[in-house]
Amino acid sequence: MKTIIFGGMLLLLLLAPAWGMPEPQQQVEEMVNSVLSVLQKPDLTAAEKRTQVSGMVQKYLNMSSMARRTLGEYWNSASEEQRKKFTDLFVKVLEGTYLNRINDYSGGTVQYLKQRVKGDKAIIDTKFVSADLEIPVQYKMIFENGSWEVFDVVIDGVSLIRNYRSSYGEIIRKDGYDGLFALMEKKVSDMQPTEQPLAPQLNQ
Amino acid sequence: MLLRFLVIFLLFSTVFATPLVAAESRVTGKANLEGSQTDSFDKDFAEAFDRDFLGPNGHQEKLIPDPLEGWNRGVFWFNDKLYFYLVKPVARGYRYTVPKPARTSVKNFFSNLAAPIRVANALLQFKFKDFGNELYRFIVNSTLGIGGLFDPADSIAGIKRRDKDFGLTMGYYGIGHGFYLVLPIVGPSSLRDATGSVVDSFFDPAKYADLGTVEYLGVQTFKTINWLSLDPDTYEGVIRDALDPYLFIRAAYVQRRMAMVGRSDYTVDMLNIFDGTDFDFDIVNPLRWLGI
Repeated sequence: MKTIIFGGMLLLLLLAPAWGMPEPQQQVEEMVNSVLSVLQKPDLTAAEKRTQVSGMVQKYLNMSSMARRTLGEYWNSASEEQRKKFTDLFVKVLEGTYLNRINDYSGGTVQYLKQRVKGDKAIIDTKFVSADLEIPVQYKMIFENGSWEVFDVVIDGVSLIRNYRSSYGEIIRKDGYDGLFALMEKKVSDMQPTEQPLAPQLNQ
Repeated sequence: MLLRFLVIFLLFSTVFATPLVAAESRVTGKANLEGSQTDSFDKDFAEAFDRDFLGPNGHQEKLIPDPLEGWNRGVFWFNDKLYFYLVKPVARGYRYTVPKPARTSVKNFFSNLAAPIRVANALLQFKFKDFGNELYRFIVNSTLGIGGLFDPADSIAGIKRRDKDFGLTMGYYGIGHGFYLVLPIVGPSSLRDATGSVVDSFFDPAKYADLGTVEYLGVQTFKTINWLSLDPDTYEGVIRDALDPYLFIRAAYVQRRMAMVGRSDYTVDMLNIFDGTDFDFDIVNPLRWLGI
């Protein structure tokens, strides 16, 4: 009897690491919940929400892979310096993009529909539901450096990385890397938070 | 005594049997699901990741030919100015003066009016389930929804609108976009989709409402203004975030249309329009409708 109990405990101990490894969907849920908990705080100003969300999201995103595959074949022909510069700017543009979305949030929850895992890749299907609309949102994830990280977000069939890749590739073809960097730098400085929201959001 | 024992036994046996049956059906259900999903599972992963991970750093992305880029950018610029200096201010004023439920009803009304377009195209694509759903929505919303002002087919019966147009029908049969086209006022389109809207206009009841050109344009303008008054400044967001909004919108348009063509969900045995759980005929029961 004792050996059975002991054996069982040993088995549990051996299995523990496998249970402790976060599933890709758990990662998405963690990210979404932490952001929503900030957005749903009624007493925070937009600027405060911005600072709290900033940095919160980044650890769930695989920025280096996103940057690299956004450039696609242009990553190969870029110099080490250009790659570094692009990655830095890309992180800033991406962060500015999702931080700008904070003001647009006016309630809504996320439903988790399906998780599919194949090797080191995973697809998480979710649905954003609010009073007025339902948007299918798909997270594409990869397992790298010991954790599942978001690699792409597909909103209503539109993949963010594909959109970036087709746009950035075209800009490089026309204006070269320097043209792209100039545009990105300008965008980053334009994205700095303004005190006033662009449009009054009353009675939407 | 024996009878009582039998009754108790029967009661218990059903209680114990239920989880067993349920477990069994769950297992077979799962097996079926996996059996039919293996193909689409690999395909979905290939579609989702191959462009990013094949080759050293993924493929070059060219989503649509754009030989008329110069012209298109001109029209894009015109539409942009029209939007910011005329259409959006009007829509904003309208938003302040007309309460939201009224605007939602106007939107529902126009959406319901265009239902024949969706019904016809679902049929043309032999998507009988969508055909049935759209027909059902049109009938329910035109009657119980008071001429389409309300959308009980969605809000009560949970049948969602399925967008269908002739551009998608052509895409479904493997016809590509041709090239990208930005139309004045209308916005992003393509050779295929613009042709599609001309075909669709023949299914549009508004065409047969005996309106003069001016009245017809007025109705279309009102429809657009109303729709924009409900839109949470999507376009502003794109302009603010994208490096080159023209390229961003072009890519988004093509990707969105590709997703909407959605050929992968089609199977030959989807011939029964009453198939699936989408239908709830209790909707025609007024007592149920009033929540009694």
